[in-house]
Amino acid sequence: MANVKNKEKSTSVIGASVPRNDVYEKVTGTAIYTEDIQFGNKLLYARVKRSPYPHALVKKVDVSKARALPGVKAVIVGADFPNKIGLYLKDKNILATDRVRFIGEPVAAVAATSNEIAMKALELIDVEYEELEPVFDPVYGASKEAPLIHPDLGTYQWPNFIFPEPGTNIANHFKIRKGNLEEGWKKCKYIVERTYKIPHIQHVPIETHGATAMMDEKGKITLWASSQSPFAQRALIAESLNISPTDLRVIAPFVGGGFGSKAGVTMEAIPVALATRCKGWPVRFTLTREEEFYTNFVRQGLVITVKVGCDEKGRLLCLKNMMYFDGGGSTEYGVNVTRAAGYSSSGPYDIENVETDSICVYTNHPIGGAYRGFGMSELHTGLDQAMDELAEKVGLDKVEFLKMNTVKAGDKLDTGMIMHPTGVNQCIDNVAKSLKWHQPAKPSSPNKLRGRGIAIMWKAPAMPPNAGSSAWVELAEDGHVTVGVGGQEIGQGTFTVMAQMAAAALGVPYENVRIAGPVDTQYSPYEWQTVASRLTWSMGNAVRNAAMDARKQILDVVAQAWHENPEDLDIVNGVVVSYKTEQETSLKNIAIYGMSKENDQGWIGGPIIGRGSFMPSYVTGLDPETGQGTRSVVHYTTGCEGLDIEIDKNTGQITVLNAAASFDVGHAINPVLVKSQIEGGFVQGLSSAMFEEIKLKKGVMTNPSFVDYRIATAADVEFPIETPFVEVPQDDGPWGARGVGEHPMVPTIAALGNAIYAATGLRLPGPPYSAEKVYLAMQDAGIVK
Amino acid sequence: MGFQRITLTVNDLVETVDVPTNMTLLQMLRDKLSLTGTKNGCTAGECGACTVLMNGEPVNSCMVLAAECESAVITTVEGLAKDGKLSKVQQAIIKTGGVQCGFCTPGMLISATALLARNPNPTDHEIREALVGNLCRCTGYVRIVDAVKEAAKM
Amino acid sequence: MINPHPGLPELEYLKPASLEEASKFLADHAGEARPFSGGTDSLVRLRDGVWKVNTLVDVKRLDGTHELSFDPKKGLTIGAAVTMNKVAAHPDVLKHYPVLAEAAKSVASYQLRNRATIIGNICNASPAGDSIGACMILDGVLNVHGVNGFYAIPLSNFFLGPGKTVLKPGDIVVSITLPVPPKGFAGTYKKLGRNTIGDLSIVGVAVLGYPTGETKSGYRFRIALASVAPTPYESLKAEAVLAEKSITADTIAEAALAAMDSVTPIDDVRGSARYRKFMVRNLTREAVTEIWKKISK
Ligand SMILES: Cc1cc2nc3c(=O)[nH]c(=O)nc-3n(C[C@H](O)[C@H](O)[C@H](O)COP(=O)(O)OP(=O)(O)OC[C@H]3O[C@@H](n4cnc5c(N)ncnc54)[C@H](O)[C@@H]3O)c2cc1C
Ligand code: FES
Ligand code: FES
Repeated sequence: MANVKNKEKSTSVIGASVPRNDVYEKVTGTAIYTEDIQFGNKLLYARVKRSPYPHALVKKVDVSKARALPGVKAVIVGADFPNKIGLYLKDKNILATDRVRFIGEPVAAVAATSNEIAMKALELIDVEYEELEPVFDPVYGASKEAPLIHPDLGTYQWPNFIFPEPGTNIANHFKIRKGNLEEGWKKCKYIVERTYKIPHIQHVPIETHGATAMMDEKGKITLWASSQSPFAQRALIAESLNISPTDLRVIAPFVGGGFGSKAGVTMEAIPVALATRCKGWPVRFTLTREEEFYTNFVRQGLVITVKVGCDEKGRLLCLKNMMYFDGGGSTEYGVNVTRAAGYSSSGPYDIENVETDSICVYTNHPIGGAYRGFGMSELHTGLDQAMDELAEKVGLDKVEFLKMNTVKAGDKLDTGMIMHPTGVNQCIDNVAKSLKWHQPAKPSSPNKLRGRGIAIMWKAPAMPPNAGSSAWVELAEDGHVTVGVGGQEIGQGTFTVMAQMAAAALGVPYENVRIAGPVDTQYSPYEWQTVASRLTWSMGNAVRNAAMDARKQILDVVAQAWHENPEDLDIVNGVVVSYKTEQETSLKNIAIYGMSKENDQGWIGGPIIGRGSFMPSYVTGLDPETGQGTRSVVHYTTGCEGLDIEIDKNTGQITVLNAAASFDVGHAINPVLVKSQIEGGFVQGLSSAMFEEIKLKKGVMTNPSFVDYRIATAADVEFPIETPFVEVPQDDGPWGARGVGEHPMVPTIAALGNAIYAATGLRLPGPPYSAEKVYLAMQDAGIVK
Repeated sequence: MGFQRITLTVNDLVETVDVPTNMTLLQMLRDKLSLTGTKNGCTAGECGACTVLMNGEPVNSCMVLAAECESAVITTVEGLAKDGKLSKVQQAIIKTGGVQCGFCTPGMLISATALLARNPNPTDHEIREALVGNLCRCTGYVRIVDAVKEAAKM
Repeated sequence: MINPHPGLPELEYLKPASLEEASKFLADHAGEARPFSGGTDSLVRLRDGVWKVNTLVDVKRLDGTHELSFDPKKGLTIGAAVTMNKVAAHPDVLKHYPVLAEAAKSVASYQLRNRATIIGNICNASPAGDSIGACMILDGVLNVHGVNGFYAIPLSNFFLGPGKTVLKPGDIVVSITLPVPPKGFAGTYKKLGRNTIGDLSIVGVAVLGYPTGETKSGYRFRIALASVAPTPYESLKAEAVLAEKSITADTIAEAALAAMDSVTPIDDVRGSARYRKFMVRNLTREAVTEIWKKISK
């Protein structure tokens, strides 16, 4: 009965920091990424002719000279692919048709036998433009005076939870009207109102976007893409090409970082479109780092005005939020960022009266898409600096102010949804403790200023109400397990967590579980997209269900063979045991060949495959005028971050001395992976807070390289980051887990802004809080001479 | 356009390769020798994903012409494990959890290996200085720095 | 840059065996061929399409380009093929020219410095070149081989504008010689980038100070500034203040102000002209104070 005693051990794989199951390949250089796949000498190279104008009519595209160039196998233009494409609002074409809407927008594409020839072909393409007045400011863009960027907006398709206003540049207008703001303001003793401008930033995965496509002689297409969304890409690209989704097979090898940029469809449709014009030739398109910076989805810019008020005790009463998102030339994905920022616009605060207008505006800037945090970093940058200011006005300790005002289980949220249990106050306590919040901290020299800042956050998975997951679990002859999933390993460790869940649900050792990869739409089970921090929860439920299904099949077979009740059986460490008769048999005796009946009287069972799926069924619609409804989202992950910093009075340079980040993850399936996500997300947040900005001058990105667009290096983060996590279980999460992939970069800008305030007494209007901005603000305020 | 024939040693094997004169060492490794462990993140000397050892010292292979590599001795990530055993830095980074998407990892491992060869007991600051040319967007560098410290102890 | 090139354009790569051959080829192919050392500037410019050059002439096999030696009389000689890392780690450099080691170590990353050279940094003539200021205040002299043989040119007369030098087609800088620094000297390089390290400089301040009988103050300071003028720039006005007046905190502040007033920076993606001016003042003050403490002991 040794195995039964080990029961504890086998389930404790949940909560164990097992090593990642992709790590050997990744440290030896054998992990295959999209660019690493070899296609032999038939491989064609794609290059794209891009718009030099932010806003113009395309009068004529002449590709005849390019077509005639030896080595060129295909040239395509927008008119060849007239169908619209887009995840939410279908407002984009694979290549521009009649109009270009941002600098860098694809106008034509070439596939040739070498990059050099493709580049030469681009020079031979003549495009005639007629320049139009551009729009570079979302607030102006939303006004009646602004020129229209999508005059045909009214003819596009969109789902019923997006609210465009045809005849304007407003692609989505999400509203919240909760309580009575007018009355509320009268009760407020303290009010703060501020406007923050948050610049566009870029995702910067170290692997740029890349995709290779081939159409075979039968007309079936395969696309190999560095992708967070193989299934969504299959659906969207097939639709735009008028083909059946299953005639497009998407294979998604390892991804060298995504952060939202490889969700939806950005550049992947181009090689597919080219491949349809040169059957039998694989066409590879890889973005250069420069293209990655200025042609790819960006995090939208935001102008946010927050007005917030509380009573004399510091209890929050009123919030008014005006958000103008700079959506760019197309808002197919961005409209939902605006929606998410809208329905979550109160942050994790309990506020009776809320009015929000979250507006997505077309501009002639790069296209906004999903970015780790999905609107929440931008929102919290404004919201949580305003809260800090309000706490100061009331004269309350900031930690106390936050804890008093956070949402608790049972509170009615800004959308009318009832809050589930959450550990945000424990997160705040954790951070305060790590930073020794209540002890005085002096600067290390007279030439320095010191300050500590704290900010909280929340975020829900932002997705359609019915985004689904599915999984299968298969046993092999040796009793080992293969798990099929359609969610993608993008570095976050999801393959490892899924293997842990399958191992725990089935009762096999973690080491005996592998994930069927790469994800391939031809055989992998369906998954909506690898976004929204939803896999641990949603795909995890599907995997757990699939493993439970396989487990049931196994136990039924064994019960029948042993003439026992399945309830008395268990699977422990890969062995089926009976608690009643103390019989046991290894899974390898059952998995494929089943079990023989007594006296060789035939067989029962057979190969075992478990299936499982998961789709939330409870998310309801929201009223278009008030944003009120029964349940706006599946759940919220909450958390808190804090920083202890010093500022050099000579240069304005910020040095972080200590940092802490604490999130309520429901249940940490793999604590090291949770901590790794938090560390990495915190540093990405800090990088965006200190360094990052897409500098746009008349629509031109002036810093499209790592030399000019700086991100944090190892030397910038030489300080301890404490990451104690909180575990208040999620009622419908597998083992109580919920996601934490995006959250760690959400409150960082606000936390840094608040720390700068604590050090200098200055509120800086918008990130990045560079040394220059800090210094010049101190200079202007007379803090330094 | 010109071609040059070069002979060099890559991961202990001698190779003779015909390379176009505008080909970088990175392209030669990936496209001519199918050693795709070395990654391309920028083609401009900025990200460090392409870092390899050239005559024992780390270089950005996207910033070296293949034609310059006559008689050079090159080590890529594929050459770090020896006799079926992972190198210390490889073992250490698994232990500390310093790998996420893995795209920076080959370059990181090469830079870290070179650092430990010239400075077997680096301080935290020295490690960070040595890795400044290796960008990582996933990990926040925390567990990568830990891995170098761990490897120094092994 | 609307359609960035994924790789290098077609080009030829030559490895001439002698300086004569190299100079002749370069002179015969002016505008088409360029000297090539570490390539860390050249390859970037070629890929960006900034240069229309189609031939790179490698200087790394030429006589004298690998020299890195110190002579107590002549000083330090650094060949054109010697990388920043070799310079920064060389015991004689660390002993006699620590400011140069400090400046070289501030460039980019360790792996880039295994290719990047001091001579390449100088010939690239970027106002942001980090090692140039140190070479200027150390009175560097370039040893050049042209179609008419060797000649020498001091660094102070070398730069004409951003990316422009007095070099003529066929000229190859073989090495730079830095005389033995004055007795009792101390030097430092203060580099300010957006990141802690690794960025190009927003401002760079190289300072050398030493006691001397030739000035009223009894000390001489040399102050070279990066990224604040069309060329690497020595602030003679600031130096004059420190030569004329006896050195106190106030004098140093005055010199720093003079440095600030003498520069003509521009706004670019790394920083504004306004910030740069303040930083010239503050970092000059910081650097001079630090050196003053060392040499006045
Ligand atoms: C990612 C990155 C970061 C960088 N960061 C910095 C930084 O922080 N600070 C900084 O100062 N620089 C930086 N640079 C620029 C560059 O690395 C330096 O300027 C380097 O010193 C150039 O040396 P090289 O040998 O590589 O030059 P090369 O590219 O070989 O040559 C540079 C120029 O000099 C000419 N030249 C080369 N050798 C000779 C010769 N012998 N005679 C005549 N002309 C010659 C070439 O024709 C070319 O015009 C960076 C570059 C990159 C790619
Ligand atoms: S690819 Fe060479 S440094 Fe980025
Ligand atoms: S692990 Fe993804 S870039 Fe470093």
